[in-house]
Amino acid sequence: MNKQSTLYTIVFIFIVSFSFVFLLSMTNQVTIERVELNQIIARQRAVLASMGVDVSDPGRIQEEFDRVFADENAGLFARRGDDRVIYAMEFVGAGLWGPIAGFIAVADDFDTMVGIEFVDDNETPGLGGRINEPWFKEQFQGLNISNGRITVSVMEPADPSAGRVDGVTGATRTSDAIEAIVNAKLSAFRSEETREQFRDLLESGGDA
Amino acid sequence: MSDVDTRPGAILKNNLWTSNPIFMQVLGICSALAVTNLLTNTAIMTIGVTLVTGFSSMTVSLLKGFMPRKVRMMVQTLIIAFYVIIVDIALKAYLPEISRNLGPYVGLIITNCIIMGRAEAFAQSNGPVISFWDGVTSGLGYMGVLMLIAFVRELLGFGTLFGFQILPESFIPWTIMVVPPSAFFLLGFVIWAGKSAMNRKGAPA
Repeated sequence: MNKQSTLYTIVFIFIVSFSFVFLLSMTNQVTIERVELNQIIARQRAVLASMGVDVSDPGRIQEEFDRVFADENAGLFARRGDDRVIYAMEFVGAGLWGPIAGFIAVADDFDTMVGIEFVDDNETPGLGGRINEPWFKEQFQGLNISNGRITVSVMEPADPSAGRVDGVTGATRTSDAIEAIVNAKLSAFRSEETREQFRDLLESGGDA
Repeated sequence: MSDVDTRPGAILKNNLWTSNPIFMQVLGICSALAVTNLLTNTAIMTIGVTLVTGFSSMTVSLLKGFMPRKVRMMVQTLIIAFYVIIVDIALKAYLPEISRNLGPYVGLIITNCIIMGRAEAFAQSNGPVISFWDGVTSGLGYMGVLMLIAFVRELLGFGTLFGFQILPESFIPWTIMVVPPSAFFLLGFVIWAGKSAMNRKGAPA
């Protein structure tokens, strides 16, 4: 048989492609449930982290998340804490190189922020990427937002009672982006429509 | 390629040192820049490259008798892509956090010149077992250099090693070490040091 003939080449390529793709689809089928579960857990972990829940033990994430009322379509979450209700909202906004996505949580007085968690960003590693470091995120815990907005300041020192946090040195544009994204979400939190949705979510409670 | 010494020991020495894929052949440089700022990520990435190089060399060697010459490269790319996707799926399923950190770089293993280089230069004309060994040792040569660069970058860029704090809190991290250009400088030093050491021994550089 002539191995250089067109027919042989076509048949060879067909068989090789078919077998490799077949094996790949099988591997994919075998692991797909696990991959999807990982994605769900990563998302639940981020929601809980924004609400200030301890998520250091991965085994407890689903158990903790069972206590969260979730409206996945609207990206709204509510959780009854020990002394207050915490509301969280999903956000996606423009960062420096690409979208920044995550969750913002506020207390039920809508005057105190509970926390923030980022799930996706393309900021410069070591500069804007430092928004993922604990010191940056912790600044948002208990931040006063009674005037409806926050400032991510590069020049002035942080002042939680005035809603001002430290920006990241060398990443002014990322800091500005975070400020804009958070403020946009805070005004959404303040709208009567959103509050109505949160109240419905808590009352319905069925799917939680 | 008939003059290549195909004894396992000679291949090991060749791939780890005398013709190291990074500092002698200067292949696989993109990933040397992109994934070397944290040791954990570098370790996982280079283990992935080592496995892909080993198994794709073996598969190319097994199929070489059936391969029509004109589609040789296409089939090699297909084989490499197959193993890379397997690695990607395995990471997504069992190490989701690392998979997230490595992002698109796992998929980009396909374009790592070392893998196709070994398939073309070695596996095409040698048996499957020795080709697997050649691929694995090439991967280890790549891993050695990348881990060295990552060691310096993580230590100076974050003050940590494998995520554990090593340098005191008062240490001011070097931001340059975190961003890709620092890998260029370090790579330059590695090539310089490697070639100087070789010249001293009188080996042809």
